[in-house]
Order: sequence, then C-alpha cells, then structure tokens
Amino acid sequence: MSLPLERLQAKFAEALTDPLRAQEITADIAGRDARTLDRLALYRGNVHAAWEKALANAYPVVRALVGEDFLGGLARAYGRAHPSTSGDLNRFGAHFADFVRDFEHTRALSYLGDVAALEWAVHRACYAADSFGLTRDRIAVLPPADLLAARFELHPACACLESPFPVASIWLAHQPNATLALPDDLARREFALVVRPGWRVEVLASSAGEIAALKHLQAGADMECAIGAALEVEPQFNFARALVRWLDHAILVDLHNGVLGTVCGSA
Amino acid sequence: MDWLEAHSENYFGQGGYDLNVLMRLRERYPISLHGVGLALGSAEGYSGEHLDQVAQLVRRVEPCLVSEHLCWGAVAGQVLNDLLPLPMTNAALDLMCSRVSQMQEVLQRRVLVENVSSYVRFTGDDHDEAGFLNELAARSGCGILLDVNNFYVNQCNHGVDAVAQIDAIACEHVCEIHLAGHLVTDVAVIDHHGARVAEAVWLLYERALQRFGRVPTLIEWDTDVPELDILIDESARARRRHKAAGEHRVVAA
Repeated sequence: MSLPLERLQAKFAEALTDPLRAQEITADIAGRDARTLDRLALYRGNVHAAWEKALANAYPVVRALVGEDFLGGLARAYGRAHPSTSGDLNRFGAHFADFVRDFEHTRALSYLGDVAALEWAVHRACYAADSFGLTRDRIAVLPPADLLAARFELHPACACLESPFPVASIWLAHQPNATLALPDDLARREFALVVRPGWRVEVLASSAGEIAALKHLQAGADMECAIGAALEVEPQFNFARALVRWLDHAILVDLHNGVLGTVCGSA
Repeated sequence: MDWLEAHSENYFGQGGYDLNVLMRLRERYPISLHGVGLALGSAEGYSGEHLDQVAQLVRRVEPCLVSEHLCWGAVAGQVLNDLLPLPMTNAALDLMCSRVSQMQEVLQRRVLVENVSSYVRFTGDDHDEAGFLNELAARSGCGILLDVNNFYVNQCNHGVDAVAQIDAIACEHVCEIHLAGHLVTDVAVIDHHGARVAEAVWLLYERALQRFGRVPTLIEWDTDVPELDILIDESARARRRHKAAGEHRVVAA
C-alpha cells in the first residue's frame, strides 16, 4: 500500500530540505539503487539553484559586494530561514534585507541590509503598475494657492529610502558604465529615491527634505504640508527645483484639488 | 517564428518593461502562456491566489494556449519551486483532475498539461505516464502538451520505453509539442534546456508528428542561451520535420 499523497509529498519535501532525512523517502522510490540518494540531491540542488537565481536577479549589487559563492551560501541559509511561499520566485527575496541584518556572517557588514532594502525597492519598481507623469503644463496652469492645496498621487514605482550608509552611492557605483566610484566614507547618511520615468528604474541620490516631502505626499498630505515637512528637516529645501525634478522623473502622476481647511497631519 | 511562448510567472507584475514587451509582442504573434508555478498536484500548499494571478494575466494577454505541468511543488507552508514528479496513482489522478477542472473553470478555457522529466519514480503506481495523461485529459477535458525530450529523459532515467509511451498517448488530446536539449550525467539524464535537441529526440519527434499530425512545436532553450543563428538553425530542423510530416501524413487526427 502506498503512502497517502500528502504524506509522500511531505516526506519528499523533508528529504530535499534535510539531506540527513533523505534516507526516509527511499523506501517509496521505485527501482532504488546506489544512485537514488544522488538523484534526490539533484532535486535539492534545483531548489537551491532556484533560490540563488531569484536572489541574484533581485540583488545584483549585494551579489557584487559579497561575491557569487557567498551569495550561494546566503541563499541556502535564507531559504531555510524564510521558506519560499509562492510559485512566483520574484517574491522570494522579500525578507532578505532583514535577514542579512541579523545573519551572523553578514551582521558585521552593517550597510548590506540597507543596500538590500534599496535593491528590493528597485525590484518592486520594475514590476509596479505603469503610470505617466504629470506634464509641466498641467502644473503651470495652477494658481499658486491651488498648487499648495493640491494632493498628488505618486508613481506606483516610487519609493523613498533613508539610511545611515551611502546606499544610493553604493548602488550607483555598481551600475554598468558607472561614473562614480564606491564612496570612501561608509558612515555617511544618504537618502535615496527610486523612480521609473520610462521603463527603466532609476535610483536618485536625494535629501532629507525631498524624502520628507514625498513621504507626506504619498501619505495623502497636500503640497503645502509636504513643503512644510521638508523645510522642517532641511531649511534650505528648494521647492521649485524639487518640483521640476519630480516632473522630470514622472514622480507625480495625478493631482486632486485640495479641500479648504484640511489639517496638516504628520505622514 | 510563428508564435511565442512565455513563462506566465515572469509577467505577474502589474506593469513594467517585461510586461510591456509581452503586450507589444502579442500584437504581432500568438502567445502561449506556459505556467511553471501552479504546482497543480500538490496535496497541500496549493495556492488559489496563484491561479488568480494566472487568470489576470490570461485576461490581459488573451493567449492562444495556456499550459501547466503534470507535477507537484508545494507542501503546507513551503513552496519548493520545482516541477516534482507525482506518483502515478489513482489518488494523484483524482487530485489532478479536480485541480485541472478548477483551473479551466477559473480561466474559462481549456488548458494543456505537460508531462515532466523526473529523476525518481515512486512505488505503487496504478498507471504509466501515458495512461495517466490520457485519463486526465479524458476526465477533465484538458489537452496534452507532449514533451518529447521528457519522455526520452525518462526512458534513460527509468527504462520506460519512450516510443511505446508516445504510441500509447490518445491522438485527439495532443495540442502542442515541446522539444529541448538535455544533459547526460553519471547520476541521471537532466532536462536542462541548455543544448541542441539530441538525435534520438529528433527521431521520437518524427514519430510523434506521424502519430499526432502537425502539432504546434516549441523548442525550449532557456539555459545558456546560444547565439541567435544556432537557435534559428535549431528551429529550422524542427520546421523541416514538421513540414515533412504534413506531406506524408495519411490519417487525420
């Protein structure tokens, strides 16, 4: 009598997860011979290869920083700690930033977790819904009071990040045809903005004020609140320049007329 | 190229460059959506959400064909992200029939199910692979995506006669054929999609064409993808045989 299907599959999965338990499934395998355990190991290798490929795809900068072999080891440790929960491997790396922050062999690389968080934002941006940026004309016709009272929808790919490490510079230094070298000072705080003006995702070095303003807009605050939040953390924040940059990078994709008397809450 | 096939899971995003390319290509070519992540035969850990995502993509792309695999790939709380072999038992057949029926209901269309290569088989089988596929197609109404290379790989790995298996598949169910290269190792033959189609597999393909007629054929090459001229030459080899089969075929399926 053969095992119930769910029991057989559970045993098979255990054999792939833990080589020491592979022996337990061999009784259920037809024509077993000296190669049976090696064949089960092929399946185990497939699983590891899928994990590694998924992480290498989402985290090319982490891969460049730690090396291909080390990433292979990281992928196995990560896959054990955070088993895949989807048939869509593009989702596999969702917890990787937190994992490398805690993992004993990467904990000392204090910047690595934040680089991973930036890469995950880039990865998500690649698959975010399509949207088109507001044109300058659309903004130009607004009387200043209306502009300040308006609420804006940000591009679905847009993400705001802040790190005690120069994550935007590290990311930019690892791009093909990079003109910037890796930063010397790894203890420099940086702000990064992930945008997708066309089909290509870009990372922009940002500032405390710009990130504060965009986070407020993202949370539904009107422009006046957003500017106020920016000036609070960055007194020299230049709104006119920021607005041009947001339009150039398709960060603002829609606007809603403001309602008089809105209270400016914190984002 | 007559038509294109894409792995469904690569286009689950809401937008972005890859999906845009697929949407542009669908204007010029019929698209087949080939799923690798539904793991239909998983007794536990099966995801209806994954099926919903396939459905969303199918609504977007309006493909000419939708296919998945005769395999499992998940247990409670864990997805293994591989096309794992099912035991060819009546219990597995019942489960596959209900999952394929559900898939067809959600997608509101017929789907194709493909035979996979495997490194191991289980004791206690009630059917051989061809018999299992025939039964699945007859009961659920699905079509069969016949992977000729996988039958060959399984012949090497398990000693099952690939010619006999192809001859045993009921003609009316076969709607698509896959070809691919494989890798011979000491442990097993591996269906790695990273080489030219082997001579023995071309012979099986000719036999399949004789039996099933001029079925749409795809060459899978997604590992170590070579220069374009090699891919074009490989597809010309398939096309020559495909054309010849049409000329010599006597019995219509």
